[in-house]
Amino acid sequence: MQNLRFFRYLAYSIEILVFFVLGSTPSLLPEIFGATPCILVALALTIAVFENEVPAMIFGVACGMLTDLGFSNSIGLFTISLAIVCFILGFCANNFIAANFYNVMLTAVIVITALLSLHFVFAFVIKGYDNAGVYFVNHYISRIVQTILCTIVFYFVNKFVYETLCD
Amino acid sequence: MKDFFKSNSVRIFLATVFILIVLSVFTNSINQNLLSSTVNSVTYPLSKVTAAATSDEDMSYSELLSEYEKLKEENAQLRSQLVNYYDTLTENTRLWKFYDLKKEHPEYSLVPSVVLRRDANNEFYSFTLDKGTTSDIAVGDPVVSDNGLIGWVSETDLNTCKVVTILSPQTSVGATDNKSNDMGIVTGSALYCDDNLTTFTKLSASHKVKTGDIITSTGVSGIYPKGLIIGEVTDVCYDTYNSTYYAVVKPYDDITTITDLAIITDYTGQGEVLLNSNTGKQ
Repeated sequence: MQNLRFFRYLAYSIEILVFFVLGSTPSLLPEIFGATPCILVALALTIAVFENEVPAMIFGVACGMLTDLGFSNSIGLFTISLAIVCFILGFCANNFIAANFYNVMLTAVIVITALLSLHFVFAFVIKGYDNAGVYFVNHYISRIVQTILCTIVFYFVNKFVYETLCD
Repeated sequence: MKDFFKSNSVRIFLATVFILIVLSVFTNSINQNLLSSTVNSVTYPLSKVTAAATSDEDMSYSELLSEYEKLKEENAQLRSQLVNYYDTLTENTRLWKFYDLKKEHPEYSLVPSVVLRRDANNEFYSFTLDKGTTSDIAVGDPVVSDNGLIGWVSETDLNTCKVVTILSPQTSVGATDNKSNDMGIVTGSALYCDDNLTTFTKLSASHKVKTGDIITSTGVSGIYPKGLIIGEVTDVCYDTYNSTYYAVVKPYDDITTITDLAIITDYTGQGEVLLNSNTGKQ
């Protein structure tokens, strides 16, 4: 049982590392409407719904840290927010809501929209850039939609991993 | 529910969030930190491989296929004679790009580099290069291509550095129109960045900037060398909000997809502010 859990966590870790590298490789993912998806955010959410709160939070921290360090040398918004969101999601998925497709998608739509909008506020609005709204329309809306679409794929991948390597 | 709030899980959660907030403050307050250096060192080899694999981005599948067949044939002929022929050739091609720049400006210390990562959350097409403090890269170093200025180094760690491009509003380059000698500041704009354009702002009301003029850096700030080509004017506009004129400038490279670059780590006058650029008095 412990072995299966170990292999499941190992599978998640490899998944995170591989998708971090693939997601940040120049010109690998095509830019659709000026953006590529935040793969690790989608990955963290879909791992969290199948795990207990503490492992969910740890994988959330890992994904958030890689996301933050991908575009700056400091950890911040994504690390802290994914730690909190994944902990709550892990707890809720075990106690209140079923980890089915519709619930996960509803959660993903709310969380991803809120998280990326918050990132936009910190990265553009607070810095006072001119025409920040144009950047939101040209890049962020597409990024939010693509990240939500990625959640669909990762939901089934992580469901398969969880069911195959369940305790 | 009451038990849950007293459980170990919640204690672990609160402790983790506290540690993350402390780490966040810590990593934000210092330029180079162990955390980012470690993460970048761990992912560096894998990123290097994937970045190299996608460097031929402009070629179609059929072109790649014919290129592959050609190279396979050549490879068979040369394998016995030249074991590292392709590595040397690739490196050579990259270095040749910067040879003219080096010849023209022998005072520049150039470090050739390639784009390692372009993250989804990068703002204004900023990117990560495969050179860091071990190659003497420092924050503020100008990043150039064989066609001119691309941006500047905003953050460094051991093996990588982050570059803010001239498409970003974070960039402010003292610049001049080579034809009319009008002075201004080149800075990015959210309106134009998606079309690989930047702006030449703060022009005087009596400016003589015209379409087709070439914009170069003035070097007055001591951050960018004097005379670095930034781009060509494509349009001159009036900003009704600021009541100033600005020119739209097109860099000679496509910054949104560029892969081969060089970092200027040292040049004559770096860090010195020119008090009077006309007389050259410092």
